[in-house]
Amino acid sequence: MTHSAELLKGTLQTIVLKVLKDHGKTYGYEITQRVKELSEGSILLTEGALYPTLHKLEAEGLLKTEKVMMGKRVRRYYLLTSDGKAEARERVTEFVEFIKTMSSVLQVQMN
Amino acid sequence: MALTNVHIDFIIKDLHSRGVVLEDFQDEVIDHVCSVVEKEMDLGKNFIDAYQGVLKLFGHTAGLRQTQQQTLLQQNQNSKIMLKNYLTIGLRNLRKQGFYSIINIVGLAVGVAACLVIGLFILDELSFDKYNVKAGHIYRINNEIKFGGNHMKMTYSSAPFAHTLKQDYPEIESTVRFRSNGSYLVKPAEGTENIKEQNVIWTDSTFFKIFSVNVLEGNPATALKEPASVAISKSTAEKYFPGKSALGQSLILDNKYNAKVTAVYENIPTASHFHFDILISMVGDWPTAKEAQSTVYLSNNFQTYLLLKEGTNAKAFESKLPGFLEKYVGPQIAQALGGDFTMEKFRASGNKYEMTLTPLLDIHLHSDLKGEFEPNGNITYVYLFGLVGAFILAIACINFMNLSTARSSNRAKEVGVRKVMGSLRSHLVRQFLTESTLITIFAFTVAVGIAYLMLPFFNDLSLKKLSIPFLEPSFYVTMLIAALAVGVLAGVYPSFFLSAFRPANVLKGNVSLGMKSGLIRSALVVFQFVISIFLIIGAITVNRQLNFIQNKKLGFHKDQVIIIQDAYALRPKIQSFKEEALKISAIESGSISGFLPVEGSGSWRSDNTYWKEGNQPTAENLVSLQQWTVDNDYVKTFGMNIKTGRGFSNEFPSDSTAVVLNEAAVLQFELGNDPIGKKITTFDGNIPDGSPDPKKLKAWTVIGVVENFHFSSLKENITGLGLFLNKSDGCVSFRFNAKNAQEIIVSLEKIWKELAPGQPFQYSFLDEDFGRMYASEQRLGKIFASFAGLAIVIACLGLFALTAFTAEQRTKEIGIRKVMGASVSSIVVLLSKEFGKLIIIAFVVAAPVAWFAVDWWLKGYTYKTEIGVSVYLLAGVSAFAIAWLTMGYQSVKAAISNPVNSLRSE
Repeated sequence: MTHSAELLKGTLQTIVLKVLKDHGKTYGYEITQRVKELSEGSILLTEGALYPTLHKLEAEGLLKTEKVMMGKRVRRYYLLTSDGKAEARERVTEFVEFIKTMSSVLQVQMN
Repeated sequence: MALTNVHIDFIIKDLHSRGVVLEDFQDEVIDHVCSVVEKEMDLGKNFIDAYQGVLKLFGHTAGLRQTQQQTLLQQNQNSKIMLKNYLTIGLRNLRKQGFYSIINIVGLAVGVAACLVIGLFILDELSFDKYNVKAGHIYRINNEIKFGGNHMKMTYSSAPFAHTLKQDYPEIESTVRFRSNGSYLVKPAEGTENIKEQNVIWTDSTFFKIFSVNVLEGNPATALKEPASVAISKSTAEKYFPGKSALGQSLILDNKYNAKVTAVYENIPTASHFHFDILISMVGDWPTAKEAQSTVYLSNNFQTYLLLKEGTNAKAFESKLPGFLEKYVGPQIAQALGGDFTMEKFRASGNKYEMTLTPLLDIHLHSDLKGEFEPNGNITYVYLFGLVGAFILAIACINFMNLSTARSSNRAKEVGVRKVMGSLRSHLVRQFLTESTLITIFAFTVAVGIAYLMLPFFNDLSLKKLSIPFLEPSFYVTMLIAALAVGVLAGVYPSFFLSAFRPANVLKGNVSLGMKSGLIRSALVVFQFVISIFLIIGAITVNRQLNFIQNKKLGFHKDQVIIIQDAYALRPKIQSFKEEALKISAIESGSISGFLPVEGSGSWRSDNTYWKEGNQPTAENLVSLQQWTVDNDYVKTFGMNIKTGRGFSNEFPSDSTAVVLNEAAVLQFELGNDPIGKKITTFDGNIPDGSPDPKKLKAWTVIGVVENFHFSSLKENITGLGLFLNKSDGCVSFRFNAKNAQEIIVSLEKIWKELAPGQPFQYSFLDEDFGRMYASEQRLGKIFASFAGLAIVIACLGLFALTAFTAEQRTKEIGIRKVMGASVSSIVVLLSKEFGKLIIIAFVVAAPVAWFAVDWWLKGYTYKTEIGVSVYLLAGVSAFAIAWLTMGYQSVKAAISNPVNSLRSE
């Protein structure tokens, strides 16, 4: 089952940051693939949302980029800055707290 | 499998044609698409199907474009980049328009610097006496007495006021009195050289309890409780006892009082309405201390300050004071004047005796009574300077606005192109506001520098010790906020004006350019010149009035009179000093008397009540008379005129009971046309409780009438005055006749040193003392004149740039006119006409406003100069001339330029 885009909206940045934290240097397509693998196909990042998010995080100074020439193609790798690393940690903690809160709000047991 | 170059080229081309152009985004999308296609092809799809599949993921052309736009938006939302962009363009524009930028920055900087200096001045004026922790509860008692032809508003009250008030009213927590006896000659007990000290005061031991003056050595609670003790300021202690503790040492005052130092206190802050260096205890049996213990309510010689308890309503307390007068002062007056006196009757016959309170914090700016410790400031001047500062800033801001809108024609194309390229109005507004803020921040920085350089001159002029508070963070915050506010204020009109252009019109070339849309601009120029002309008229008026006062017929001759101060230090050799001095050939005459026809600088004053002999001493008949003791040569030395009768002379031994009245006194006594030989009477003794004894009287015979002469400020009328023949050794005055006063000073000092070794030789000139009475007005005049000048300079700076701009705009027109045969002069007139009209309008507006202001200011003077039409014309013509000279340069430059140059190029 794939999750609705509505639910993903607020977590996109967190996902991107966490993926970059765990895998280091990564490029756009690779990120979508990683997420797909990790979620066993239930989260599919849309390209339309991914790239604006990456550029936003870059403008905020959380990411930096490296360009690698591959024949006719240019590959832009993203990696976390030191600010980005701290931010990634914080976002994940925040999200775990959020899940806890939600579980009590919705009265469901997390296994 | 890896894609071939052909595939990749296809993808790049196709994406490009779909509008994917954003630099980094483009690379990313290509890489992404390729990766997906490769993977799909690995799973067995052919290239085209795989590519179509990826495109679907991105949402085809529309989706790609939308994603691209969002990416761009995210990149640009970084405000740093935006600001950097605005700044870069702003700086480039400033550099490109160097001439106008410099005029803008310099004009604004000078204006802001002037404002800053004025601001510091006002802050300083407002901070007076605030160092006192209990300032809000401290009040001074004032008395207003209107009686016997005299009307006195004074800070003086009588000795028992403080004590009795405290006894009767529980609202009062504490009281302190001051008694001034002028300057003292001071030396340390083991010293020989006397130094003259101006700021010496007798006071109660509660001084340190009421005023927040820190005691450095000694105990503030007991310091002034012992008889013959003094408290001295730190600087005084260092002066008399360098390198050792002053505590327990002794000072000798006026060669007779030996006083022990019981406390050393921190120098009293500059922003205080008094700056005492020596406080003398009013306990003990020295004459002033005895006077302080008197119970007579009729002799007002003390300044009394009250500290009210917290929570006391001062107004309510003040309303109880008439009852106090009734209870204590009334009976004593009744006893002096005889039976049927009551305060009600006294008031009913048009007289007045009122007690009021002045809050401590109001003294510096709101009080100008007889007996202030020092000349105070004036709230009117604070307002006036505030207004002038605001005017100057307004003029500078107007320059900025005018230049920006005038230059709009040059930037109209830029605005058009920007709008076509998709710039929103808000972007343009931000761009222009950034530019104007940049200019103001530059200008403010320069202004602080200018103010720093200007302050020493201003301090000289205003006798202040102002400095720029570089160490206070609030100063920088204020300056920054002010800079931003001025930047936005000055930039808001131009930015909205410019950004409102319609690109189609602008690019077609028919925008309302430059001077044509100048209604607001003209109004602003008119406003600038209204202010300038107003300030010129104000400055001329102030200076004329001061000149008038300085040169008015005073009733005595103030020039070429030297006054030797503190003549009592010569005792008992004063007469021989005078005789020795008269041997100097240039000295014409000399007189020993402490009473001088100028106020301040050690000149004595004394008044007493008299009545015409034969009348009863009732409230209606009493005349309050200045009672001056002088010697035979007084009238001659000061160049006064005897109208009828004669002056004092050695030939008449009976002159010891004679009086010479001035004309005002003759009128007050109703002595008629022939006053010579008539008599006036006064009390000549006290009954034991201290009030005058109605049985002991003394009569004086009028032997002459002296022409009215001014003995106090020309703000006041001449009141009754009598000259009496008696010893009075405050000063010795000499009239001399020599070009070089220096030689006379040297000779006089030599005689002084022989007769009074160790005593300071102090002198002054009568005309300078006279000038000093108007020092504050003179300072006002000078400051006013310099700021008025500044306002005009800034206004003209703006006019200069505006004319330069017009000339530039009309270069081609002028070229064509010249080719068609126009003369240089006709072109100059053409260019000047526009602004000339504005200045004439400005004059018409400014003249009546100035007339009202001048009229209001002169009301404060009894003797005032005529400000005729000529002053207004002078101001108008000079403003016009200055403006015309400014414009003229540009106009002539444009008019004589060779038309070939202006018409040839495109």
